[in-house]
Amino acid sequence: MAKSRSTPFHVPNKKIRPAGWQVFLVGFFLFYMLVPIISTYVFSVATRWDRTILPEGYTLEFYQRAFDASYFTITLRNSLILSLATVLVSLLVIVPTVYWVHTRLAGAKPLLDILMILPFGIPTVVLALALVQVYNFSPLARSPFLLIGAVVIYSMPFMYRPVANAIQAIDAHVMTEAGQSLGANVFQVLSKIIIPNILPGILSGSLLVFATVFAEYTLTSLIVGARFKTFPLLLVEFTRINGNVASAFSVISFTIAWLVSILILWVGSKGQVAKTKAIRTG
Amino acid sequence: MKSSLQRKTGHTVDWLGFAPFLLFCLAFEIVPIIFLLRGSFIEKTTHQFTIQHYLDLQRPLYINSFINSIKLSGLTAIIGMIIGTFIGYAIYHWPSERVREALITLSDVTTNFAGAPLAFAFVVILGMNGVITQFMLQYFNYDLYPKFSIYSFSGLILAYVYFQLPLMVLLILPAFAGIKKEWQESAQSLGADTLQFWWRIGIPVLIPSLIAGLTLLFANAFGAYATAYTLVQAKLSLVTLQIGYMIAGEVRQDQAVGMAMAIGSLFIMGLSIGIYQAATLRTRRWSKS
Repeated sequence: MAKSRSTPFHVPNKKIRPAGWQVFLVGFFLFYMLVPIISTYVFSVATRWDRTILPEGYTLEFYQRAFDASYFTITLRNSLILSLATVLVSLLVIVPTVYWVHTRLAGAKPLLDILMILPFGIPTVVLALALVQVYNFSPLARSPFLLIGAVVIYSMPFMYRPVANAIQAIDAHVMTEAGQSLGANVFQVLSKIIIPNILPGILSGSLLVFATVFAEYTLTSLIVGARFKTFPLLLVEFTRINGNVASAFSVISFTIAWLVSILILWVGSKGQVAKTKAIRTG
Repeated sequence: MKSSLQRKTGHTVDWLGFAPFLLFCLAFEIVPIIFLLRGSFIEKTTHQFTIQHYLDLQRPLYINSFINSIKLSGLTAIIGMIIGTFIGYAIYHWPSERVREALITLSDVTTNFAGAPLAFAFVVILGMNGVITQFMLQYFNYDLYPKFSIYSFSGLILAYVYFQLPLMVLLILPAFAGIKKEWQESAQSLGADTLQFWWRIGIPVLIPSLIAGLTLLFANAFGAYATAYTLVQAKLSLVTLQIGYMIAGEVRQDQAVGMAMAIGSLFIMGLSIGIYQAATLRTRRWSKS
C-alpha cells in the first residue's frame, strides 16, 4: 500500500488488492468450508450450545468420555492396522508396476491408465456387493483380508498419481541402464536407485492412501461390519448415541486429515513432486 | 538391441512383470464385477437367463431411488460447477500467491472431508438445535424447521455441495491458465468488449473443462454413500443406500434386484466417467498450444 502511494504513476488497484467481487466469492467459500468444521471443534468442548449464540461454558468432558468409550482403543488400533496394511500392499503392487511400465512396457500404459481410472467409475457399494457375493467362502468371506483387497483397489489412484509423476520426473531409463551396466539386477536397480529417487512421490502417495483408508466407512461397514470395527464406524454409531461425544470423534478425524495434508505439503515441497488432486469422496 | 516395434509392444517376458498388478485387479475388481453382471441376468432357482430382475426395478421404491439419486447428483453437480467456476476464477486472479496456495490447499483437504464427520458437522450447524438454526431463530426470528431439514433432501444438497465446490475449484483452475492473456489483449485490440470475449473465446475454451467438471461431480455424488447414510437413513431412498441395505441384509429383498440395481448404477457412473475422460482429453488441446 505504501508503495503505491509513494509512486507518482497510476498503479492498477487490482495488483495490490483483490477486487470486491473476489473478496465476496472467496469469503463465501471460506464461510462454507470453515463454519461446519470450526463449529464442530467448538461444539466438542461446549457444555451446552443449543440456546445461545456462544456456548454457555467449556469442558473437556466429552473427550474424556470419547477416550473412555469401550471400543475406542480397539477401533483406533483396527483403523491403524487397516490403513498401514493397505499402504504396504498398495506400495508392493503399484510401485514396481509403474516402474516396469515406464521403463520396459510402454505398450501397457493405456491399460494401466484405464485400470487406474476404473475405481472412480465403481461406486463403493457396488464394489462391496460384488466382492461379498463372489468371496462367500472362508477364510475370505467378510474378512479383514477381503477388506484390504477392496480398499487397495479403492485407494489405488491416490498411490498411482504421485508415484507416476515422480517416475516421469526422473530419468528412469538412463538410471536403469547405468545400474544394469554396472551389473545390478532389476530388484537392485529398483531398491537402490529408483525408489530412493522417487521417495517423495512414494511418501505423498502413502500418506494420501493412509488418510483415505483411515476415514473409509462404506467398504468397512458393508464388508466386515461389527466384526472389525474401525474408527469411522464408531463415529457413526455415536452420532446416534451421544452428539457431544460424536463431535469429539469428528474433531479427532478432522485433525488427522489436516495433519496428513500438512505432511503431504511438506513432503511435496521437499521433493518438488507435482501436486496431486485427490478426487475421491465417500 | 530391441527393435522399435518390440520396445513399443513389449516381449512376453516384459508382460510377466505386469501380471501381478493385473491379477490383483482381476481378483478384487474385474472378476467380481463380471460375476455381478452375470448374476443380474440369472434366475436364482432355475439358473436360466432372465431380464426379470431389471423389470423388477420398475417398482416405485427402486424407480424413486434412481430418480432421487440422479436429482441429488445432478443438482449438486450443477450448483458445484457454476459456483465453483466463479470461485475458481476469483482464486485464479487473487493477487497474493500465498493466499492462492492456501485456498488451493484448503480445497484439497475439504473435498476429501466427505462421509460421517462432515455429515455430523452439518448436524452441528443446521440440525434442529444447530448453531445456525439457533442464530436464525434468535436474531431474525426465523425458524428454518420444518421447511428445511438437514435430515432431508434439502439438507443433503447442502452437505454434498460442501465437497463438490472445492473439487470443481481444483478441476477448473488449470483451465483458466489455458486462457492466454494475449488472447484477451488481441480481442480487445480488435474491438471486442469483455462480454464478447467471454462469449466468443473464453467460454468455448472452458467448455471441455466445464463438462469434465460436471460429469466428475455427478459421478462423485452418485457414488457417495457415507454422508447420506449418516444423515437421512430411511427417510430418503437413494440407489447407494438401497444397495447398502441389501448387502447388510437389513431388508427382505431379492438379492438379484440389488445386483440389477448395482449394474444400473455402474452404467450411469461409467457413462459419466467416460464423458469426463473424453472431455479431459479435449482440454489438453488448449494447454498444449
